Amino acid sequence: MKLEVSNLCEGHALCVQTAPEVFELDEDGYARIKFDRVPADLERVAELGARVCPVAAIVVEQ
Amino acid sequence: MTDPSVTTDADLFSAEAVENPYPMLAELRELAAAVYSTKYDFYVLTRYEDVREAARNWEGFTSSRGVALTDEFNTRIAGSVLATDPPEHDALRAVLSDKLAPRGLAVVREQIAAYAAELVAELVAQGRFDGVTEIARVFPINVVADLVGFPTEGRDKMQPGADATFSAFGPFGEYAQQHLPLMADYGQWMAQMADRSKLAPGGWGEAVMDAVDDGRLSEDGARRTFSAYLTAGMDTTVNAIGALLRIFAERNDIWDALKTQPSLAGPIFEEVLRFESPVVGFWRVATRDAHFHATTVPRGSRVLLHWAAANRDPRKYRNPDLFDIDRNPIDHVAFGYGIHACAGQGLARMEVVTLLAALAEQIDEIHLDGPAVRGRNPIVRGYDSVPLHVTARGTK
Repeated sequence: MKLEVSNLCEGHALCVQTAPEVFELDEDGYARIKFDRVPADLERVAELGARVCPVAAIVVEQ
Repeated sequence: MTDPSVTTDADLFSAEAVENPYPMLAELRELAAAVYSTKYDFYVLTRYEDVREAARNWEGFTSSRGVALTDEFNTRIAGSVLATDPPEHDALRAVLSDKLAPRGLAVVREQIAAYAAELVAELVAQGRFDGVTEIARVFPINVVADLVGFPTEGRDKMQPGADATFSAFGPFGEYAQQHLPLMADYGQWMAQMADRSKLAPGGWGEAVMDAVDDGRLSEDGARRTFSAYLTAGMDTTVNAIGALLRIFAERNDIWDALKTQPSLAGPIFEEVLRFESPVVGFWRVATRDAHFHATTVPRGSRVLLHWAAANRDPRKYRNPDLFDIDRNPIDHVAFGYGIHACAGQGLARMEVVTLLAALAEQIDEIHLDGPAVRGRNPIVRGYDSVPLHVTARGTK
């Protein structure tokens, strides 16, 4: 699975709160994905983290 | 103009529906995915997935033709951040998003915590106070006014003005008509405040005026931005705090849980947002025919995205009418969703979590000291009064 954080991200950090294994905040306070490809065992939690983004900034590519 | 397949003649904004909208919303939710209101000429979406999808799909459900019910009010808010789509919308939102997003708020966290502690200490010393008029309508108002950089004078116009303005998003019924003078008074005051000499340096107000100076925003745009942020910036927080205080006073199990485990403040705030949905919804206009299960919303229809109905959808939340502190429903739509989602939700979270920490630290027991009184605003759900009696922690 590939995820992308779009330029809609405002740093509300709900993804980090929900799925800290997958998301973190960068130096400027925006969300960042820890992986190029999300490992299979983290796909479910990654999807949850993407889903809670309040501004729909996280795109699940596959 | 349309050929609605499933209709209702129920009044979603009657006094009874405002007092307790949930039985009617549950009926509508089961009737069909989209139901046409013959009384008001709009479609209402009540199911969580549909409401969320319509909010996400800003191209199919535009805000640029207004997010209020009436043409009169949509004309007034035209061009504001609430009532535009990209690309205009993005420039307006960007003016303050640097300040409003969590990364911009770290610098004010301590200031807000100190104010919360001070306010709660005063009220605990009093012992008896009104949770609405002495906390809910005081704390968020002063936090926002301080952040914007407003003088103290005139702040008393903010909450009544914001409440009146919100009511005008719905039908121009008795409540909105009665409160029009407050809205006018508030509008005049805000227009006067869009002036550098009135604003404290370094605040959000100054950031708006900077945007005017370097051409990102017109002067009219500055007034609209003040209005959008101040109005939207208070009522959700004000009404969530009022509702929470009532819940704490009536549900000792929840109050005890917060006292023993202050980290529950976040989940408790998310749950009250889901449970109460202080802003019941906003409208959009369908830019093309939209299909929700068996129902079609024809192009050009006004559509109410009913946050309050979505947040009680049993397809999404088990036992939706139960206030459950273990739920932590951070995907609720009380702040909306997508590009128009509340820009100040980070601030709201910080404010309320900070306030709950101060309450839990200083208060031992909290009880109702008289009947709680619901407000009558058709668009913003909350209380006019929650009389409380508290005892201080550690002085039993």
